[in-house]
Amino acid sequence: MASPSMTPFRQELPFLEWKRGIAGQRLKQAAIAGVLLVLVALTAWRCEVHMKTFVLGIDKGLPLVGMFFPPEWSGMVGMLQPLGVTTVMAMAATILGMCLSLPCALAASSNLAPPPLRLMMRAFIALERGLPEIVQMLLLIAIFGLGPIPGLVALSFSSIGMLAKLLADAIEEIEPHMLEAVAGTGATRSQVIRYAVIPQILPALFANGLFRFEFNVRAGVILGAVGAGGIGYIMSTAMNSMDYQRACMATLLTLALVFITERVSDFFRGRILAGGLLR
Amino acid sequence: MSIDVPAGALPSRKFGLTVVYLLSTVAAMSLLFWYLGVSPSSFWVDSRFIVDLFQQMFPPNFALFWTKSSLFISLIETLSMAFLATICGGLIALFLAFFAATNTTPHPLIRLAVRTLLVMNRSVPHLIIILVLLIAVGIGPFAGALTLIFASVGMYGKFFADSIEQADKGTLESVQSLGSTRLQTIRYAVLPQVMPSFVANLFYAFDHNLRAAIPLGVFGGGGIGFELAFAHGLLHYKDVMAYTILIVLMITGMERISDWARRSIITQPQLITK
Repeated sequence: MASPSMTPFRQELPFLEWKRGIAGQRLKQAAIAGVLLVLVALTAWRCEVHMKTFVLGIDKGLPLVGMFFPPEWSGMVGMLQPLGVTTVMAMAATILGMCLSLPCALAASSNLAPPPLRLMMRAFIALERGLPEIVQMLLLIAIFGLGPIPGLVALSFSSIGMLAKLLADAIEEIEPHMLEAVAGTGATRSQVIRYAVIPQILPALFANGLFRFEFNVRAGVILGAVGAGGIGYIMSTAMNSMDYQRACMATLLTLALVFITERVSDFFRGRILAGGLLR
Repeated sequence: MSIDVPAGALPSRKFGLTVVYLLSTVAAMSLLFWYLGVSPSSFWVDSRFIVDLFQQMFPPNFALFWTKSSLFISLIETLSMAFLATICGGLIALFLAFFAATNTTPHPLIRLAVRTLLVMNRSVPHLIIILVLLIAVGIGPFAGALTLIFASVGMYGKFFADSIEQADKGTLESVQSLGSTRLQTIRYAVLPQVMPSFVANLFYAFDHNLRAAIPLGVFGGGGIGFELAFAHGLLHYKDVMAYTILIVLMITGMERISDWARRSIITQPQLITK
């Protein structure tokens, strides 16, 4: 029979230490959980979260969702064109963004570009990343008017922001001796870029470009609703005129589009990362 | 004497391939542009419009920063929307992920159902969710937060399920061999393994949600996006510019903070490979 003694046996010491460690860990976890709980409560209050609104919302929302069915199948053929506009806008923006992000990335990497140019380019990229597409879109509408062009420009710019940052980071991770080896053969700077840099970052460019395409399709739907046309516009006008079955058809088509683009981009990205498609 | 060189690696062949790639890209681009009804000339707008817009935008109305106190409240509103969505969405996603992972799911059929649910959740555009929620719970940040929660569940449920499936099988089996129940296995074998990637992903999710919160605000989801759309509707471009600067500062700052936190707090940083 073991009785608790004031002076523990030497064999028990590691165990006690472990116990103390666990207790400390528990305390830390509890503190983190407490801080998070307080923050959640504060933010919930800020966001005007009320259980009553939520329950009432379910009451109101379920019949609303019921009104979505059956979808207006007859409108499907007419919606294929706007769906195409959204897809094409995303595609063109991705290609444009990929083409433009390459020079931006080269100018933004520390091992290729002179510091002042690099600093300027990094600031530009940070600005592009910080500016949501929708803000760019709202400003561009004032210049280009409504239509797919402001959407295209906004999506291309934010694609540059994302792709150029990833690419510039990839370029900076290229081992210096590779660049030196090519430079050692007497290559000029542009030849170093052509033979040492581009082959290494091309897979990253395409893989990230495909991911960005997926993102651009989703963002294109939202931009459509504020004036870029396409399926997003159909969706928001149908919702505003309370034509829910039409909105449901548009949603179904968008769902299919997003699902297919995700699958396609996943497939090609897998091939590229495995090294099968580009060499 | 000849050296076997794969045909694709010959310089002449490679150059030809490059030319073909470039030409087909150009051809694809022109086709896409033709479909959109965009000709290169339509990018060339009268410089008058641009000059005019810039004259209307500058100088930005910085006076708003100290005269309009509701500005910072709406900024905090946007941040709270993103935070709430990250925490609630993350917890729901983690809960669902255990049903969607092969090694912890109670039944393969449940796994299939949850996976399908997550795919659906991910594909439904934010736009339609917010439009429905605006009617259901009314205009305001609550609708925006709910939309973000909904969207985060779809996105991160799949991440978490995948990282649970990658959990070390040996640890799982050794805990199970002690006679632990399913819950105990999850608690002692799975959770400790997925927690670092979970926390890392949460920081990433916060960043993502913050960006997504702006367009939701424009449609009526509250926060700074709402104010921006309001000012834009009134054609107060000086105010729009001030809001834009604020938004850029907020997003860039938060990105820096979340990057730093992800790197420093988490002992095993796991890159999010999407």
